[in-house]
Amino acid sequence: MDGVQLPFVPKIEQSERIKVLEARNQELSLSGLRQFGTYGDHRCWLNIGPFPYMDKLPSQIEGYRMDCEQWGADFECMLDYTEPHIYPCETIVGEIYWEIGCVRPCTVDQAPNAAEIREKLDKALALGGLPDAYGHTCPDMEIILNEGFDNILARIRKYKKLYTELKNTRKSTVLSGMEHVCLGCIHYIERYAALAEKMMQETNDTDEKARFAKIAECCRNIAHKAPESFYEAAQLLQFSILFDRSIGHGNGYGRMDQYMMPFYRKGIDDGTLTRKEAREYIAEIYMKLRGQFFSFSGRLPDGSDATNEMSWVALEAYDLIGDYNNLGVMWHSDIDPEFFDYACDVISRHGESLPVLINWEHMYDAEVRSGITPEDAYNVVYSGCQWFCIPGKEWCGHDTSWVNTLMVFERALSRGASDGVNDFETLYSYYTEELHRTMKAFQEAEAAVDRVRGDVRPEMFTSIISHGPIERGLDMVAPRGVDYQYSALNIAGLPNVADSFTALKNLVFDKKQYSLKEVAEACKNDWADNEIMRQRFLNQPKYGNDLPEPDAMFVRVCDTMQEVAESYYNQRGGQPMRPSLYSFMRHVEARNDVGATPDGRHKGDVFAQGINPQQGAPRRGLVSMANSSCAPDMRKFQGGSIQVDIQPKFFDGKEERYKYISNFAKAFFKSGGMQLNIHIMDLKKLEDAIEHPEKPEYRNLVVRVTGYCARFITMSQEYQRDFVSRMNYESMN
Amino acid sequence: MDNKLLTIDVSHGTTHDGPGMRTTVFVKGCPLHCVWCQNPESIGRDNGVWWSFRDCIGCLSCVKVCRTNALSAGDAGIVIDRDLCVNCGDCADVCPSSAMSLQGREYGLEELLSDVLRYRHYYNEFGGGVTCSGGEPLLQSDFITEFFRRLKKENITTALDTCGFAPRERIGSVLQFTDYVLYDLKLFDSGMHKKYTGVPNELILENLLYIADSLRSSGGVKELWIRTPLIPGVTATEENIRSIGRFIAENIPDVLTRWELCAFNGICAAKYEKMGLKWPFNGQGAMAEEDIAPLRKTALEAVPASKLSITGMIRPGNGKDA
Repeated sequence: MDGVQLPFVPKIEQSERIKVLEARNQELSLSGLRQFGTYGDHRCWLNIGPFPYMDKLPSQIEGYRMDCEQWGADFECMLDYTEPHIYPCETIVGEIYWEIGCVRPCTVDQAPNAAEIREKLDKALALGGLPDAYGHTCPDMEIILNEGFDNILARIRKYKKLYTELKNTRKSTVLSGMEHVCLGCIHYIERYAALAEKMMQETNDTDEKARFAKIAECCRNIAHKAPESFYEAAQLLQFSILFDRSIGHGNGYGRMDQYMMPFYRKGIDDGTLTRKEAREYIAEIYMKLRGQFFSFSGRLPDGSDATNEMSWVALEAYDLIGDYNNLGVMWHSDIDPEFFDYACDVISRHGESLPVLINWEHMYDAEVRSGITPEDAYNVVYSGCQWFCIPGKEWCGHDTSWVNTLMVFERALSRGASDGVNDFETLYSYYTEELHRTMKAFQEAEAAVDRVRGDVRPEMFTSIISHGPIERGLDMVAPRGVDYQYSALNIAGLPNVADSFTALKNLVFDKKQYSLKEVAEACKNDWADNEIMRQRFLNQPKYGNDLPEPDAMFVRVCDTMQEVAESYYNQRGGQPMRPSLYSFMRHVEARNDVGATPDGRHKGDVFAQGINPQQGAPRRGLVSMANSSCAPDMRKFQGGSIQVDIQPKFFDGKEERYKYISNFAKAFFKSGGMQLNIHIMDLKKLEDAIEHPEKPEYRNLVVRVTGYCARFITMSQEYQRDFVSRMNYESMN
Repeated sequence: MDNKLLTIDVSHGTTHDGPGMRTTVFVKGCPLHCVWCQNPESIGRDNGVWWSFRDCIGCLSCVKVCRTNALSAGDAGIVIDRDLCVNCGDCADVCPSSAMSLQGREYGLEELLSDVLRYRHYYNEFGGGVTCSGGEPLLQSDFITEFFRRLKKENITTALDTCGFAPRERIGSVLQFTDYVLYDLKLFDSGMHKKYTGVPNELILENLLYIADSLRSSGGVKELWIRTPLIPGVTATEENIRSIGRFIAENIPDVLTRWELCAFNGICAAKYEKMGLKWPFNGQGAMAEEDIAPLRKTALEAVPASKLSITGMIRPGNGKDA
């Protein structure tokens, strides 16, 4: 089992060129330029300091206006003042240093009704919910790759003209903004062409001349037209993702194996491209970016397996560098078994939870269940963390909205205690009522935000490569901007709520060992002087052990969450709220927002992470934990992943390690599982890395924190500690 | 049929008790008393309690509740007087931290089936199934026969891990529905066998021949594995391995699928502590490659390399908590 070594030695040899690029990539991460708060090197733009040309911004010159036209003009200006750089050895170029939020306020505080919105947000927050949605949608990259910027610009102008004639100023204003955005992108790429031409003139080295000529020709072409070769497509993909990231958050970028395949096929067929070259172009994109999500496989509209040669190339590109954060392989029962085994082999060798493995069948079913047509649902992609969506057609405010169910539970417990509730069902009905209160406040706050969202923080680049916004003259975040606009929300604390209910049911209502009042009091005092009582609650059966009673309670609280959430509709075309069994970092961040809980948890202890059992709860081993997580019908939810953190010892004496992962994953998916993030990481090394981050062997130590990966040594110590204290498995049982 | 099966553990995801990934049902009660037993709580046929130092918070609730005064607080924790204990389980009920717990758990047939059937996909993907181990499953052979019959009906493969010390009709009954037999040959010298396990080995050797015959006459059994624990100074001698090897080579070479030498490790020491017993191999480290090498060489005189496997080798510090 010594395949997991640091630094990692990839299966596919790195060329000298890739080694140089990888060294720079590591340096960018470790120098702090990609630092994203406490989360680690999760930032896609390089933080070189504030935007130095603030005085050139239209919003500064004209004064801030809350509309898309000025948003687009500021965006254009930001790109216009972004200096191009071409670094040694690279053939895929382009970097960004700011996002729109750095040059222009994009919060609801800019809205005329800001006070009303804040009040509603505060109310929701106090009740344990925050509708603060961003990102993790997915533009349709086929639009830009097939049309090129000129055609998109022409479409924008056509509809701008139409709405101007129809005197719909609101729409023509949005389209003006899109025009600015499009022009900014074109000029940015042209400047890269110009720089490459200049560098070509200045060098006498023949190889370098050829490299600059290649970059220049490519940029000249794709600044306006659709790409003609694989290389041009890869470069345009890179630029487009940079522009998309400039709006300020992470998105998914769809099924790379599908939209790059025509370019790949053409290049291979006409002899202008080799597999190695294609792999290296993709590897260059991976090294340039943080926090992007690509997915592979899944099914085609005729139901057949979508895995193709490009799926292999894209995964090999990660295998080549072993340093990139977010790829997903979409499993289904007919997936090419060799490719799936390769994906598992990559996981077993790199140990970085890459790619994540997701159940395509469940994503498809979840989308259809939500009302998305089967034709569209076939295009479903993993779009990061545990999210999924239809590229270019779905904006659900994935990612940052959340509900903290432990706060809801705490209110129910407190009410139940003061009312002297003496039966379990009444207590549970209090919980449901309180959840309604939270969701109602959530809905009202979200509605208030939705009235101005499209004007305050549009996502205009994403919009121009999506289906509908140009034709409708609407940003995709505005109501009806795209067809599907559910409200997605992260749910934190459900396993703790379930275990708390199980413990209360057993000890208070069935055995009557304690009164509800005593429990509420003990929790309020963080179990002070009540260790015996706490131990009794802590040692009740817990979710995560494949035991009927606690798992049934978990299913019940999940279903309640789903039923309550789906009974509320948003202002974006009246589509329902859709919960996700996932908590991003809320299980750490919210740990002081609630007191001790009847699952035996102390105040300040982290919650369970998403659908993962509470730390320390699983005692029957990995497969039993996995089976528990399959208890809820995952098709009712917007995803939910389990973290499987495996110690290298797990594989002692075992050959063909990938088979363990592959067989385990298949059995998990067939048992109803949704998503697996599988780590293989030596806990001792991580503990040592907390103490000795300076050791060179830890420079490239990448871990999956939750929905994203980061270099371990760039994370805050709090998150590092949370990470190492997670459940680790040394065997399947 | 026995209505309930007394077990010490139902462990899902095991990879050392037969092919693939399996569920291993460890039953409670064994006619042998091997001094090295890895599951000392599986020997007794009563469902007694045991106590965990690690989980105890020292509240003494157990001492207070005990009606026969079998429990007392000693220097090293709770002391259980086995002569006074009547296995009522009151102390386990009252213990807040599960430090005091019953060693065993009873399963009804349907309950056990529904538990293991939830792992069907894992058995399928890994080519595994269900193993009954122990303790000695043949002590509860009526239940096991019916359990295996039902599993076969569900197309799940079955494995019987046995010490072989049982009346022949019990073996025959279970064999009808058994795919894999994992058969222990611990010590070839009968006197030594009696000394270290409490019983002589003639019956065990005869039963092995009976099982081999039933394999030859086709029956349902697919494979026969012989398992020999390598216990330093007891079974792990070249002489013992040579004698067992010779017996295998002379009697069952045609039906043997695999001879497994299970390397000694001390990871069960914590269980002895919980039982209030002394682990007789205290201080004995896990076996290293150099300890195994001569035994492997000896074993290879009797069986081809393709049929020999060494299991249980662990790296230092890889002890799982009991």
